[in-house]
Amino acid sequence: MTGRILRTIYGAAVVFFLIAPILAILPLAFTDSIFLSYPINGFSDRWFRELVANETWSRSIVNSLIIATSATILSTSIGTLAALGLRGDRVPLAGLLRTGFILPMVVPPVVLGVGMQILFVKVGLASSYLGVIVAHSVLCVPFVVVTVSASLAGIDPAIERAASSLGASRTRTFREITLPLALPGVVSGAVFAFATSLDEVILTLFVAGPNQRTLARQMFSTIRENISPAVAAAALLLIVGTLVLAVLGAVLRHRQARPADTA
Amino acid sequence: MNAAGLRSAALVLPLVLFLGVFFFWPLATMLTTAVSDDAVGKAFPTTAAALSSWDGAVPPDAAIQTAVATDLRVIEDRSVLGDAVRRLNSAVPGFRSLITKTYRTVRQNDDAPVDLTAIDAQWGDPAVWRGFARAVPPYTDRNLLAAVDLQRDAEGDIRQVGEAASANRIIMVRTFVIAASVTALCAAIGLPYAMLIAGAGGWVRTLLLLAVLLPLWTSLLVRTAAWVVLLQNNGLVNGFLQTIGLIDHPLPLIFNRAGVVIAMTHVLLPFMVLPIYSVLLTIPSNLMPAAATLGANPLRAFRHVLFPLVLPGLMSGSLLVFMVALGYYITPALVGGAEDQMISSVIAFYATGTANWGMAAALGIILLAATLALYAVYGRFSRTPPGFGV
Amino acid sequence: MDAFIRFENISKAFGAQTVVDNLDLTIRRGEFLSLLGPSGSGKTTILMMLAGFVAPTQGRIRLDGREIQGVPAHKRDLGVVFQSYALFPHMTVSENVAFPLRMRGVRKAEISERVTRSLDMVQLGKLGARRPAQLSGGQQQRVALARAMVYEPKVVLMDEPLGALDKQLREQMQLELRDLHRSLGLTIVFVTHDQSEALTMSDRIAVFESGRIEQIGPPEEIYDRPQTRFVAEFIGETNVLEGTVVSLEKGVARLSAGDGRTLLARTDRDLAAGQRLLVCVRPERIAVSDDPGAANAIPVEVADSVYQGDHIRLRLEGDGVSLVGRRDRSRADVPTGTRGYASFAPDDCALVDA
Repeated sequence: MTGRILRTIYGAAVVFFLIAPILAILPLAFTDSIFLSYPINGFSDRWFRELVANETWSRSIVNSLIIATSATILSTSIGTLAALGLRGDRVPLAGLLRTGFILPMVVPPVVLGVGMQILFVKVGLASSYLGVIVAHSVLCVPFVVVTVSASLAGIDPAIERAASSLGASRTRTFREITLPLALPGVVSGAVFAFATSLDEVILTLFVAGPNQRTLARQMFSTIRENISPAVAAAALLLIVGTLVLAVLGAVLRHRQARPADTA
Repeated sequence: MNAAGLRSAALVLPLVLFLGVFFFWPLATMLTTAVSDDAVGKAFPTTAAALSSWDGAVPPDAAIQTAVATDLRVIEDRSVLGDAVRRLNSAVPGFRSLITKTYRTVRQNDDAPVDLTAIDAQWGDPAVWRGFARAVPPYTDRNLLAAVDLQRDAEGDIRQVGEAASANRIIMVRTFVIAASVTALCAAIGLPYAMLIAGAGGWVRTLLLLAVLLPLWTSLLVRTAAWVVLLQNNGLVNGFLQTIGLIDHPLPLIFNRAGVVIAMTHVLLPFMVLPIYSVLLTIPSNLMPAAATLGANPLRAFRHVLFPLVLPGLMSGSLLVFMVALGYYITPALVGGAEDQMISSVIAFYATGTANWGMAAALGIILLAATLALYAVYGRFSRTPPGFGV
Repeated sequence: MDAFIRFENISKAFGAQTVVDNLDLTIRRGEFLSLLGPSGSGKTTILMMLAGFVAPTQGRIRLDGREIQGVPAHKRDLGVVFQSYALFPHMTVSENVAFPLRMRGVRKAEISERVTRSLDMVQLGKLGARRPAQLSGGQQQRVALARAMVYEPKVVLMDEPLGALDKQLREQMQLELRDLHRSLGLTIVFVTHDQSEALTMSDRIAVFESGRIEQIGPPEEIYDRPQTRFVAEFIGETNVLEGTVVSLEKGVARLSAGDGRTLLARTDRDLAAGQRLLVCVRPERIAVSDDPGAANAIPVEVADSVYQGDHIRLRLEGDGVSLVGRRDRSRADVPTGTRGYASFAPDDCALVDA
């Protein structure tokens, strides 16, 4: 009996430890004070208006959207192709390639950032949108490869053989069978990629110029130098954005599984 | 390679090229930057060639002295010369004024034969020539040595850097200590929690898992900012402790070691819990009851049955947390004080602060090597535990 | 004999391993041929080569005279039913069955009609709008069948399609498949490792072992007149007795077994004296009596008798041999410890190489 009580208390304590910080900061988005602290004496939406009115903030939000969208498109397309190629280990050195594609997740971002900064200056990509998009894509690609690969692995290979035996050529099998079945994984990968890009700070610190400041980069500076409830407002925005994305992704995957209308 | 293999290779190629150019090339660039030292070689090509056959005599023969003059007369790009002068000056202080003077003199009278010691007596100092000769080769170990607080003295032997300058080792030790503390804390909190999840069913398990996954889905910046809110002097934690009368004055919980460790533990806990939990899932749920029927009390059953089986998960979780914590930048930067900066901060400082790419790259390589070594070990641990031959 | 499908000198090696070894096989039009054998015997590989998913290392495959080993799978116009059914999870049952018709460019109205007919044929007419995940194993199997036959292929290949079904459903499906075969006049090539299944359904059985065909023939021939020890032991139960040939007279071989016993076996083979051979007898052919003069009588004691529902399984020990016998429930009981003679007629056994 005591064991049970202790376990419940412990579980609750850890859950609290994990969730409370996130819940703690969100209400401060609505404070009317200029301090990021409790108690909240008055509620207002001034900080959301600040995000829109203040050019630095609004610019950074737009930049984040542009960069995240572009990085998602780039990493999802290249990553999906690679996952398709890795399938069944038909390509030589498949194991080595798989490890190589995951490495961007393993390497400390600061190290990669330094390397990229040195290289980008040399090739003229420093302080450019393209440079930041490319840097983000490098970070996003492993997520896409892993998610799409997992989704592909769940497809029974006999299904594609069946399609073949029923008269479908290779392209038709891919279009009608493989792609639709892999799509949920691709959508998940894209959602992961977008969220990763939105959250990315370190590489941006090294390769972005003042014109490519992202929301995350701006939040970082603000927390460091002059913390204000604008950060809480931005945080709420990020959380809502990520949630919308996750829901969108889930809806897309669910609709994929529904029967299409046939005559 | 058959047709299928060729098709697969074509599909994989774009990513291989993309990462080759934008991931491996930057890392390779960093490697070369850490060991490259071509500033002097670029500005003084003739001298470099001549010095390769220098016999050590001071002052060196006419050929070498003429080479120096030639290079100074020929060079047009001021920034290249500037880089070289900076490099020489950091080896032997006073080089800057020496070169400036020599530069002006030899350019005033072109083609006249040169006697460098006549221009300035410093050219007779063996240390000057030794410093010059050592700065000439395009590759150097200066940065790598400096990264671990070593340097070469005038004779070329390796020795420690003086007290004032030796910060890197301290920072490396500090990074290790912080990472280790965070790992230990994550293990202490995470292992029981993972066992709780594995033992729970239905909605409780979902709730416990959600609590672990939700932070992963939230932006790292948001989580770190949240800890600022909680730990600051007028933050929620201090407010709570004061309200219940435990303390009178706010505890310093932020911008110090405590804040960094707490915040990093919070961020990295999921990376400990999830590997342990996935290993626990592979353990048949009837093992502990079986141990009980054989006479083991819960503690002994845990020690002899469950713990050995969960150990691989604990090891891979710990390796993962440690590996990530080593390279961590954001959280220590935002929540730590001056005494809590980890090696990644130093790297960033050298890169974006003082533009000392060599040092940044050298430190980066050390961090990268440590991370890759840990990853290799992690890779071996996260294979399925033996005996469950899946 | 109508040689509809021919395998000529077919071999398949995966790396250093030879999975099919210089095989010749002729399949007749309209027959139900089972490829029977243990795992790894090569039977599935043969089917996969016929379907076009695996290329032979050497040899030729002919379908109705045409060489097809180089023809890609999607152009072979065969029906294939897979072990895992391989239904398309993202399509409904109707869409699954319509798929091959779409690939062939059939008109929409005609598709709809043929799909309905095909589903009715497998008694799934009402389930067209369901998804495979919503169906039971047996229903999925029928959808797979309907899909493979809706475009009326001349040959249907089946790779252990009934393996995942429980016993009762399996036996029911076996009979249904047999009926379908008879009514549609299809050629069916059926891979299985279950010998009773092969015996039930086939016109001919090809028994595979280590990449070769040990014996091919109608079920009765395979069961009653096995030509090798492997076939004798793989199909049903068998007792094996060793003997050396003494003489051969009017189609009956006389062999001397251990301890001066004599064995008599009918055979149409040419034998030489001194040849060492095996006599294979099915348990149900062994009679237990107290007559020492019966043909092939061996003195035994009933060591064990186990109730099996429709019969009793006897273990008969004696004279250095251990035999398995069978006692029908309708006959009198033979209690453990009874001493007697186990005997069998020379016509009721098979002579195979040692």
